[in-house]
Amino acid sequence: MERFGYIRAASVSEAVALLNEPGLKSRALAGSTDIILQFRHDPHYCDRLVDISLIPELRRIEQRGGWVHIGAAATFSDVMSNPSVIASAMVLAQACRAVGAVQIRNMGTLGGNVANAAACADSLPALICLDTVANILTPAGGQALPVSQLVTGPNRTVLPPGGLLVSFSYPVPDSGSRSAFLKLGRRNAMAISRLTVAAMGRLDEHGRVAEARLVTGSATPHIERLIVVEQALTGQQPCAELYQHAANLAVDEMIRLSGFRWSSEYKVPALTAMTARVFAQVFEVGEA
Amino acid sequence: MKLQFNLNGCHVEIEAPADTSLLSVLRDYLGLTGTKEGCGVGECGTCSVLLDGRLVNSCLTLAAQASGRQVVTIEGMSLPDGSPNDLQQAFIQYGAVQCGFCTPGMVLAGEALLASNSQPTRLEIREAIAGNLCRCTGYQQIVDAIQSTAQKRQEVNPNA
Ligand code: FES
Ligand code: FES
Repeated sequence: MERFGYIRAASVSEAVALLNEPGLKSRALAGSTDIILQFRHDPHYCDRLVDISLIPELRRIEQRGGWVHIGAAATFSDVMSNPSVIASAMVLAQACRAVGAVQIRNMGTLGGNVANAAACADSLPALICLDTVANILTPAGGQALPVSQLVTGPNRTVLPPGGLLVSFSYPVPDSGSRSAFLKLGRRNAMAISRLTVAAMGRLDEHGRVAEARLVTGSATPHIERLIVVEQALTGQQPCAELYQHAANLAVDEMIRLSGFRWSSEYKVPALTAMTARVFAQVFEVGEA
Repeated sequence: MKLQFNLNGCHVEIEAPADTSLLSVLRDYLGLTGTKEGCGVGECGTCSVLLDGRLVNSCLTLAAQASGRQVVTIEGMSLPDGSPNDLQQAFIQYGAVQCGFCTPGMVLAGEALLASNSQPTRLEIREAIAGNLCRCTGYQQIVDAIQSTAQKRQEVNPNA
């Protein structure tokens, strides 16, 4: 007997209708890299998969009116090679590049990464660093929610049941902004992320920090911008000591937000080094 | 459910449950055992195939997702007379095949790379095969085989 059915949606509205058909527990299927494994654990995961991966609108990436919009079914390969993304948000291109290996990047999607909200999802810190908003469609209509509010913790989101992640939108950063993503994994290519940092920043005409953003992945239960660190950098002259100061603050924040855990023993020195390094890349032209 | 797709240039139609992986359809339903199953969870790359020209793990792909699309497996790589193509020849020549279990996936990963980057650096080659595990060769020979094929193809067709 078949454990579940499969149906391919031709459009976003059809996908939402199918996901909300009464009497059937339906789930959206995009890259399938996570869902197919889910099924092996839990055969009752759903009655029917609604394949959204071939809906053209959900694969589209475009820059429009000061925003970059990325369809939720765009693959990591699509995102990391897109010129608008590369020009405006290196942090996101690098985060997508850090995902798995080419096979996984060719299948896995941004929407799947966010919807599953694995603690180690590489794209999350980058999206949150960019103040990305998730656009969700439900039978009742559309709704927009910052990714940092959509993802409430490891494997937890407030995506409404029957809601479909349609796209992500981030404001094009002010000109002169630079961003970077660093990942510490056990084995280069396939390692599920152990620790990641996403940073963005911009200098003013005097060479001082006009804006700084920092988000860490796999370090705290809820992924968010570390405002304390960002404020400490703003208005300062960028230098190695400043990055070190920011790194120490980032570690304090990690401990405050997550409590001291066994993994902190290696995460403390790792996060310190990675934070200092990512800001050096962002603020020192020629280093990235 | 009924599935139909283009496999190595031929139209195929089969009936399989919706939860069947593409890997299982290839091996168990169609008898094409060139595509291997290693880990079954997306970590070893030995099940790699090309789906619409892109390298994917067939163990993590539902066969239903391939419906109406183009699939290329290692069986589709050889020359029309069935002999190995130049990349496969290079694998033999450079000693890149020992037990051979990773080889189909490695060859497809190599072809996928060369299709988008005709002159890859060694680092780019290593990155392109990073999702393919080999427990025998130590990878150097595989990188050599892909690199030499890139060079030879460039000599034959400098505009590629
Ligand atoms: S069998 Fe598919 S990646 Fe290992
Ligand atoms: S040749 Fe044996 S696994 Fe690669």
